[in-house]
Amino acid sequence: LQPPEKPLDAEEWNRLRENFRLPEVFEEVMLNNMIRCNSHIDVAKSLLTHVAKRNGDVAYNILVKYLTLCVQQGQVSEIHDVYDIMKARFKILEIGAYNLLIKGLSNSDQWRMALTILEEAKKIMIPSRTSYESCIKAASRHQDMNLAFELHNEMLAKNVVPTLDVLQSFFDFSRGVKGAELQKELFGILLYLRENQIYPHKTFMQSIKLWFESIPGENWRGHLTNIKDSGQCPVCNHQLEDSNLSEEEYNNLSERIIRDVIHGTDTFRKTSPQEFEAFQTFVENRLPFDIVIDGLNVSHIKPRKMQCENLFDAIKCLAKENARLLVLGRKHMLVNSSNWKREIMKEMQNKADFFFAENITEDDAFLLYATLRSGKHCKFVTRDFLRDHKACLSDSLTRHLFRKWQRGHQIVLKPMVSSLFSQQPAFRYDCVVQTTGDTWHIPYKEVFEEKYSYRIPRKWLCIQQKR
Amino acid sequence: MQSANMLLKKILRSSVLPFAAQHGMKKDLFPLCRTLSVSLCLKQDNSCQPSEKLDLDAWKKVMKSGLQEEVTETVSEPQELSSLAAARETLEMWRLAGRSVPENMSEEQLKTFMECPSKSAKKKYLRFLYLKELCKRNDKRKMEEKRERKLEAQEQTSKTEETQRSPFMSLWDSTMDKAYNWRAAQSMIFGQPLVFDMSFEKEMSVREVTNTVKQLVLSESCNRRSVDPFHIHFCNFKDDSLYHKEFLKYYREAWDKLLITMTDQCYTEVFPKEKLIYLTADSPKVMKTFDHDKIYIVGSMVDKSIKKGVSLARAKRLGLETAALPLEKYLLWNTGAKNLTLDQMMRILLTLKDTADWKKALEFVPKRKYCGFLNKPVSELKKTLDLMNTLKFGKRQQEVQKEFAKIYSKKYKLK
Repeated sequence: LQPPEKPLDAEEWNRLRENFRLPEVFEEVMLNNMIRCNSHIDVAKSLLTHVAKRNGDVAYNILVKYLTLCVQQGQVSEIHDVYDIMKARFKILEIGAYNLLIKGLSNSDQWRMALTILEEAKKIMIPSRTSYESCIKAASRHQDMNLAFELHNEMLAKNVVPTLDVLQSFFDFSRGVKGAELQKELFGILLYLRENQIYPHKTFMQSIKLWFESIPGENWRGHLTNIKDSGQCPVCNHQLEDSNLSEEEYNNLSERIIRDVIHGTDTFRKTSPQEFEAFQTFVENRLPFDIVIDGLNVSHIKPRKMQCENLFDAIKCLAKENARLLVLGRKHMLVNSSNWKREIMKEMQNKADFFFAENITEDDAFLLYATLRSGKHCKFVTRDFLRDHKACLSDSLTRHLFRKWQRGHQIVLKPMVSSLFSQQPAFRYDCVVQTTGDTWHIPYKEVFEEKYSYRIPRKWLCIQQKR
Repeated sequence: MQSANMLLKKILRSSVLPFAAQHGMKKDLFPLCRTLSVSLCLKQDNSCQPSEKLDLDAWKKVMKSGLQEEVTETVSEPQELSSLAAARETLEMWRLAGRSVPENMSEEQLKTFMECPSKSAKKKYLRFLYLKELCKRNDKRKMEEKRERKLEAQEQTSKTEETQRSPFMSLWDSTMDKAYNWRAAQSMIFGQPLVFDMSFEKEMSVREVTNTVKQLVLSESCNRRSVDPFHIHFCNFKDDSLYHKEFLKYYREAWDKLLITMTDQCYTEVFPKEKLIYLTADSPKVMKTFDHDKIYIVGSMVDKSIKKGVSLARAKRLGLETAALPLEKYLLWNTGAKNLTLDQMMRILLTLKDTADWKKALEFVPKRKYCGFLNKPVSELKKTLDLMNTLKFGKRQQEVQKEFAKIYSKKYKLK
């Protein structure tokens, strides 16, 4: 159904309508197509006039569709008219219409009107984040930063998560403006990124950099850099925060892992109380370990090799400088089979401690327990991302702690062409936005969208103040 | 209304703005003026010039003219709406906007709606109610059509006056029921027990419990109708539980006459432990044959969020043997979880009991979940499948060729 190019009169519309398969929804379909083809607004008007004359009324959904077209084309006076009509006609509007009105008006010079509509929308529901986004952007575009931050804080208070776009717009519109209050708010946003472990993307990072450099009289300078494995910034030689958790955080995390991940709703789901107790005594008697290895996971690294050989290679590779190793496995490994040779297993057991769990037990939970119990220096080896265990933790704060701990303690083995493995060591520094007052270090992503939550950026923005 | 339009048209034809201002209709014409000035600007691009007699903003007039009476009405109404009424109002607007919202909602439903914790939960609940309403309406329509057809048919037969005599006595439903009940009663004395574990209420949402009960009702009915029914036990069944409440909705007075053993005891207290086998999809053991001396336990749980290992945990705790259906062995699995509905389980078990034919029994697995029956073991098929995939993606060409040659050495020679 192609929308006409010119406004039609009643007769012409009637003819089109009668030729349409479902005359009842003709107007809706027609308007949808107009929105898609971005037809001239007069064409839509003529359709509405035709409807109004025939029925003496225009239905709400048709009005909303027309409004969509107006918003799409930025016809501010029309948006006004439609709003007047809707308001007079209906006691309240639904959230879709409010969203459209806010979006349409916030881009015009009547953006304050959008704010009143936002207030109205709040009465019936929590407005969407795009509505807040439009209003905040409009306010900051007109240099009313106070209002913008007020809306932003309100949004956070209602648990509406702001888009990175909004956060970026704060930095964009504050460029070159001086003000202690403003600076505090923007630092607040950077700390929000830190607390929620959000990494800005490249363009956002540029906005942050430009804002810092534009603050009059403060002499900030930003550089893009890669942080060394030692955790030192090559630009300012500053040592980044290390990835260790504080005593309290550490205890909290261990407790929660035992409670939520191992026991959960029913200890029998992942293990059994007897087995867990046996494991606990086993670990307590041999503490502390330096590296805990997920035996089954490691044994699958090279699919063309015998599984016990893979494990043996990994143990040989990790057993340096008298490191105490713990290998977690399942009972089926002890049964002599084509993949698990008894002699090799015997030899391995001389080099490391082994714990064999039942075949239906989830050994990952044991891996976490043993590592946490051994202390902060202990690392663990698996290629698993442990996402399902992270998901068992019930609040986001503990999940963030878990991620941080995981980054600092997980060693990943990668198969190499030669017989041994390459180790991707645990990070010594913590990959979050961080500051010391006169320096800021901000990790950023090269690409816009976040593809893998476990992947952390290697590129950093280093900002320092030159006195 | 009509006259107003005519007037407007006239004004437009003369198409002079000051004239409109002179006229005594300032208030009404205000929006018109604004848009007229807009369309004046638009006149520059000729492609979209409205034909002269067309009044593009007439609809606004119509909308506003219809208002005068209504506005006074709304003003007189009390401004403060109760939260329920406000919710009803919002829903009405959503319906007008063309969303999936039911037309009629009871007070109770409205309350449940308002208690939904999030926007998406609200949307889902509304959609559920909307679809339910739609189904109900369609059923009603179909019933009416059926009734009409029946009436018509009756009229025709009465016209022809030809009553055919059948040599057989017609068996009515009640007679059938009696026969079924006789069988079920026999099974309660001599039949093989089948246990439904009713201890999962805490792991389920209200919706899941209602679905569970629905499936149990279906299983009970197909058990009753089978040639050799099981003796059904509901174990761990508490009298004032949500299960019980839902059952009463389905069975009403028939609940007390059901030929089922209900007990709040655990199955381990009722039966000897070594005879029990807990059926769960998470079990590492695969069922090979149906054993007529064992007592199978099925967990009465609908698990929409795939809580892995819940029923396996029950069996582990009590130290029972477990088993899973050999789905992988007989079916080339396509999509979906391996946990089946309770009535499907019941049909499969009944068929196994009668025929011991896995192929026949697994017919009751939904067709969408598997591609077909296997006549070769899966491991062998997997090998060929892997080979096909590697060939398709062209990886490791040489290795694949070697492997191919190894398997099909007679037909294919490597040069």
